[in-house]
Amino acid sequence: MKFKKLSSVLIAALAAVMLMTSVVSAVDPYTTYNYDAWWNAVPSQAGYEVINTVDLQDQLKQLRDPTSEFFIGEKEPITLGDAKDFYLSPNDEFFIADTGNNRIIRTDINFNLLACYKTFSGLDDDEEHTVVDEEGNVIELDEDDLKTLKSPYGIFVDKDDVMYIADRDHQRIVKCVESTKTTAKILNEYYKPETELYDSVSFYCTKVCVDAAGNVYVICPAVNKGAIMFSDSGTFIGFYGQNRVEVTAEVIRNRIWRKIASEEQLASLTKSTPVEYANFDIDDEGFIWTVTEVANTTTDAVKKMNPAGYNILELTADNNQFGDQVSVTYNGTTYATRLTDIAISDDKFVNILDYTSGRIFQYDERCNQLLIFGFDQEEQRGGFNNPNAIETYGDNIYILDGRNNDITVFGLTEFGSYVHQAIALHNAGFYEEAYDVWQEVLKRDGGFYMALVGTAKALYNQEDYEGAMKYAKLAFTDTDYDRAFEANRQEGLRDNFTLYVIIIILLVIVWFVIKHLKKKGKIPQKLIATGVGYVYNKGRDAVVKAVADAKQKKGGKGK
Amino acid sequence: MIYDMKPWQWVKHVVFHPTEGYEDMRWKKAGSIKIAFFIVFLLFCSQVFSSRYGGFAYNMKAYSDVFNIVPILVQSVAYYATWVVSNWSICTLFDGEGNMRRVAIYTAYALVPFIVCNFLSTAITYGLTLDESIWYTAISQVGLWWSVVLMVFGMKACHQYNFTMTIVSMICTVLGMVLILCLLALVMSLFQQVYVFFATIYTEILYRVRS
Repeated sequence: MKFKKLSSVLIAALAAVMLMTSVVSAVDPYTTYNYDAWWNAVPSQAGYEVINTVDLQDQLKQLRDPTSEFFIGEKEPITLGDAKDFYLSPNDEFFIADTGNNRIIRTDINFNLLACYKTFSGLDDDEEHTVVDEEGNVIELDEDDLKTLKSPYGIFVDKDDVMYIADRDHQRIVKCVESTKTTAKILNEYYKPETELYDSVSFYCTKVCVDAAGNVYVICPAVNKGAIMFSDSGTFIGFYGQNRVEVTAEVIRNRIWRKIASEEQLASLTKSTPVEYANFDIDDEGFIWTVTEVANTTTDAVKKMNPAGYNILELTADNNQFGDQVSVTYNGTTYATRLTDIAISDDKFVNILDYTSGRIFQYDERCNQLLIFGFDQEEQRGGFNNPNAIETYGDNIYILDGRNNDITVFGLTEFGSYVHQAIALHNAGFYEEAYDVWQEVLKRDGGFYMALVGTAKALYNQEDYEGAMKYAKLAFTDTDYDRAFEANRQEGLRDNFTLYVIIIILLVIVWFVIKHLKKKGKIPQKLIATGVGYVYNKGRDAVVKAVADAKQKKGGKGK
Repeated sequence: MIYDMKPWQWVKHVVFHPTEGYEDMRWKKAGSIKIAFFIVFLLFCSQVFSSRYGGFAYNMKAYSDVFNIVPILVQSVAYYATWVVSNWSICTLFDGEGNMRRVAIYTAYALVPFIVCNFLSTAITYGLTLDESIWYTAISQVGLWWSVVLMVFGMKACHQYNFTMTIVSMICTVLGMVLILCLLALVMSLFQQVYVFFATIYTEILYRVRS
């Protein structure tokens, strides 16, 4: 009997300890924050957590194994080398542009090796290709050069597994398909456009993207006219979606000077040129999203462009601030947001990678700030050193780090999945259905901005206008508050209409009576004066008495 | 009309009779400096009210920002004081008849419509939606321009100018106000530096004495 009691106590204690540890493990390894209505950073729940980190070493060992079908050479590097880009193909396979090792690695969604392309051949090309390097030297590409890649910076894969590789140092775009597990067959090459419209001497392409019609968009950091656009056959079409010039004090000053300066002075003035965008992604509907990697830029930091190159985000977005809102100076270095890559997930969430802080900023399709996660403490899992690229698959987010040479996989937490559910319902217009989910979000983070907005809208649709006003006030949105306020006022008027009418009629009657009496001089002024005087005297007496009493009491205490 | 009115009745008379009210008041040598100061106090109150209260959609700042009394104090009391000083200084040079006491009284009386409409417009925002903001704008604009008209006639009566001269003197007064406020800012920063200088000397001496 005693033993039984003891064991039950022990079990209880064990259960308690287990409970405690489970509580401890629920705490995130790093702090997360979010922005409130005033763009102040406030602590928040983590929407994503690291579920895996993949360095691909086990998989890449096969490249050295002569018995393997992936065998390339005994000295083939088995780590990634400053990989700049990767792409999740429509068939859910990863294509990693291994920049430092001049190869393309292809894996499935669980990072099992599918292929590693090192040799690229098959194009019967008798033309001689010369490129101009950074110092202005003309270099002729020989046959061996054309069969390999040199610093592939970007990759895009279409639904037929056709690869488009930005072969940066050979200054070309390679369009190819798999021929064996280690080689690829080139279908087409895109070189520097030989036209006067293209006025840059080099063609250091870094990113590439292809739309549904097969048009190829290429980003060259030296070209600020937008993306260079080729047709499927390789002819140069034009430039696509140039950024605008950010209006700064210097730009305004230059514009004024330009009006009054002479020819010689004009030549010495700096030209106001827009900054080029750093990266892009194409969403399911065929819109191209771009990010600009200049620190703290506010003009065209993120764009969603239609096929004509117009930014339609200006019409559809609720918000135009992206990334961190303030730059931080720490140990003498200033850290400012630099948006380096963008990925649109299947559920239309916009994920933007900040190179400086290693943070991922997630927005919904209307660009409302949802979740912020990730950081740059490279010693810790989930921290980044050189975050270069971001991709999404389902709810997971993959970050490619160029110095840690690994891929970090983020998965949704419970909080994050609630946010996703709620915002999906919210943006589809199901405010009432979203209400319960928003309440779950608010239980975990009572200051979550979109949850407050969503709750206000849901309560408005449920005709709880007082509640809607309260939440709109908390979310600090005047339009939502105003709508709820108007409806509330309407309701109040309707419910108490008789009362208001009676009060108004009474006031009018009183007004007329007073006017009438005044006209006849029959206002009993003496009576009123006596009445007021009486009340005044009584009141004065009471006050005097009270003061005297208080004094006496105080005096008594003093004695 | 019998101009045998109590001081507060004079305020009403002046406000509702812009053209002759001030002339009557000057003729009767009426107008109370106590009431004038009370009106300035009300001006301060109305500024506080309009910056801290009002419907949420109309005055969101009031629901989030920290209340700072200094700008409001400057906007009401300091502006009034500089106006009076500047107007008196300018008009003394321009052969105006008014003394400083009269300038202070006439200026304060002219502010009454502005104050009343300030209170009123802020109060009605509790019952207005954003679409109906025209009412808010209308009331505050009526108050403002009524006060401006009163101010013109007040200064005209106060200094016995013709209309052109009144406008010229008022423009000069505004310039004078700017000058006074600039000088005040300069003097204040100067005194701050002097203060900092002596404070530094004090701390230096303190360190030496202690060590």
